[in-house]
Amino acid sequence: MDEPYIVASWPCVPVEIVRAAGLRPTFAQGLGDPTPIADSCLEPNIFPSRLRHLVEAARAGLLRGASRIVIARTSDADYKCFLYLREFVRTEAGSAIPPVVLFDLLQSHSEDVRAYDVARTYALVEELGSASGRMPSDDDLRHEIARTNRARAAARRLTELRRIAPRVAGTEVFPLLAAFWEMEPDQYVTLADEAAREIAARSPLTGPRVLLTGAPVDDSALHQAIESAGAVVVAEVGPWGSGAPGEDVRCDDDPVAALADKYRTDVIGPRTPVDAVRRWTGRLLDEVDAVVVSLPLDDAVFGWDYPVLREVLVARRIPHVCLRGSPHESPPPADHARLDAMVAAASQLQETSRG
Amino acid sequence: MVDKQLDSTRAASAFQKQWFAELRRRVFDDRQPYALLQADVPFELFDVAGIPAVSNQWWASMIAAKRQAPQYLDAMDADGLPGGLCRYCSLGYASTRYATAGEPPWGGLPTPRLLCARLTCDCIHRVFSLWADAFGAELFEIDHSGAGDLPVRWWELGRHRWRELVEPHRLAFVASTLEALVDRLETISGRDFDRDALRHRLERVNAQEELFDSVRQLIATAPECPVRMTEQVTNVMATQWVRGSDWALSHARAFRDEVKRRVDAGIAACPGERARLMWVGAGLWHDTSFYTAFEPSHRAVFVWSMYLAFGPDGYIRYGLDDPMAALASRTAGFNEYLHNPPWAAEWIVHQARTHRIDGALVLRPRSMKPAATGRLFIERALEKAGIPVLPIDADVVDGRQWDPEAARGAVRSFLDAQVLQ
Repeated sequence: MDEPYIVASWPCVPVEIVRAAGLRPTFAQGLGDPTPIADSCLEPNIFPSRLRHLVEAARAGLLRGASRIVIARTSDADYKCFLYLREFVRTEAGSAIPPVVLFDLLQSHSEDVRAYDVARTYALVEELGSASGRMPSDDDLRHEIARTNRARAAARRLTELRRIAPRVAGTEVFPLLAAFWEMEPDQYVTLADEAAREIAARSPLTGPRVLLTGAPVDDSALHQAIESAGAVVVAEVGPWGSGAPGEDVRCDDDPVAALADKYRTDVIGPRTPVDAVRRWTGRLLDEVDAVVVSLPLDDAVFGWDYPVLREVLVARRIPHVCLRGSPHESPPPADHARLDAMVAAASQLQETSRG
Repeated sequence: MVDKQLDSTRAASAFQKQWFAELRRRVFDDRQPYALLQADVPFELFDVAGIPAVSNQWWASMIAAKRQAPQYLDAMDADGLPGGLCRYCSLGYASTRYATAGEPPWGGLPTPRLLCARLTCDCIHRVFSLWADAFGAELFEIDHSGAGDLPVRWWELGRHRWRELVEPHRLAFVASTLEALVDRLETISGRDFDRDALRHRLERVNAQEELFDSVRQLIATAPECPVRMTEQVTNVMATQWVRGSDWALSHARAFRDEVKRRVDAGIAACPGERARLMWVGAGLWHDTSFYTAFEPSHRAVFVWSMYLAFGPDGYIRYGLDDPMAALASRTAGFNEYLHNPPWAAEWIVHQARTHRIDGALVLRPRSMKPAATGRLFIERALEKAGIPVLPIDADVVDGRQWDPEAARGAVRSFLDAQVLQ
């Protein structure tokens, strides 16, 4: 791993800036593995698995080669993770933790917030430029925006193959979409287009189409559980799956402002305004037969949306299940039984609607 | 219910009840607008605009103290809201959304004209959006920028060097957001906002907090604690919600004078005091008698909580040529100072030393996720400073799983084994 790299806490750190600064973006992701070092210093049921693994790796010295750890302002837990890491650096002599940076991208709707975000994005350009010794010019940024937009288009071609008559299981396509964030854009276009061609030649999958919503997932363990019951996950909330490509970044006079606008509005996370989350969910409900809502113990936000979502689903007669366990582990037998029942109900409704 | 030892405490309790009744009268009879605010919103702006404001946290504590929380919390559970979501900041919302589930204190909240919250914890946007929807009222949000520079001994900068406390871009952002809030308040109130009046109000807030600083000093240095923590909280918070008002200043002075008289006369909250305790975290509003339960058996007195101590260190701002910037500097870092490293642990250890604390009880909140962060740093810093720590697992408004006898037993064992050995 000779190529200089950064570790980011969530995919709302613009990969275009990271690459323009000559760095490779890598992202923290959750796993089912234990995190004993992190558990000794992070309070339970607050920090999601991805942050536990980030702290575990940082404190174990595994990130000593990273140019920066960039913590995005995705959630309060992310912000606290930033403060904790900085405190470890301050208080522990010989800490192996690389410099930790906060990318303070706010998400609420106001002109003040927009201006603040643009300024913080300029600060990120400066920070990463000084970390790598290669300060990106506007042209460098436009070049990366154009390359990444081509990768976004390729990822969107994959997501199209999940719609209406899905030809690919969520378990299979999720890693392909997630790869958008870390893979070189040109390489990603080649890979995604190749996969899209192969998938397009397949027959449509049968089984109820499921939307996975609630707290965004960053791996496919829940997809596996849902699809083992006979359904097909056709969309999931958050930037790792359906939300990976989003809309293109505009490429204009101020590429930094364009990136700030894109990442503020387009990456769903715990601080995304509720109206944006509802719009995203509402658009998809016409194309699914059932909904799984993941609300793990560390969720502080998406559970608040549940009563309103439940009312919508009941009114539209869309079966749903709410799961409260870790999204990185196979659900317990009782949840599997509920998933089976949901799939059976959705299948029955599918049959009825097809006459 | 524990007897109140100070006349000031009785006066403060009476004032709150009377103030709320007057608020209801003004809203219902005079059709005046009022606002519902998260506790860390600058109330001064609303006062200067002539719009009375109710604190969400105060209202939640009232519901809990009146034993109405379980009914609303059960209604939230029945509606499918996961039990791990924050209950402290949402209990007030529940009292509106599930209005028939319980009996709200003093007739309940009238419909506000405006709700306003700082988006500190992630849940605040959700809770206040739902609450505004439930009322059919407008919501104004103050987004919460994160601090990148972390001056450790923040309390030494706050009074005179507050511009150094907050990074310039954050200070400008918060000030600009407060200006936008003022625009809304001008529209609602129908009158121009008076910046000289804001400066004057902040000067009076400084004066009030200086009085609390005197009280804190009296408590820290008196041979025995002159005023129970619960009575400190009642007196301080009744004034904080209307800080800088005539009543608040006058009451703060009366409180200070009464505490001083008690010190001069050698009157202690718990004569024969053997252990001085600190409470770290929000108050256990559903079981406030917990805080006096160890006086008879162990002569152990709760001497310190953040409620009195934070006022002088967190609110005072000298040099008010730009009052909005001064207000912004206070607003920007409120929560971090109270909960997170490096600020909270350093401050709490400093406070423990100046108050001669023998043992600390640290709240481990069950459902308040952001308030639950940082506590491991605080616990370890206190222990490193030689102060025994007892973590208390509890929710501050949800007493449904609280076992008062077990909790008291744990504290007694802690006192016997670690504090009074």
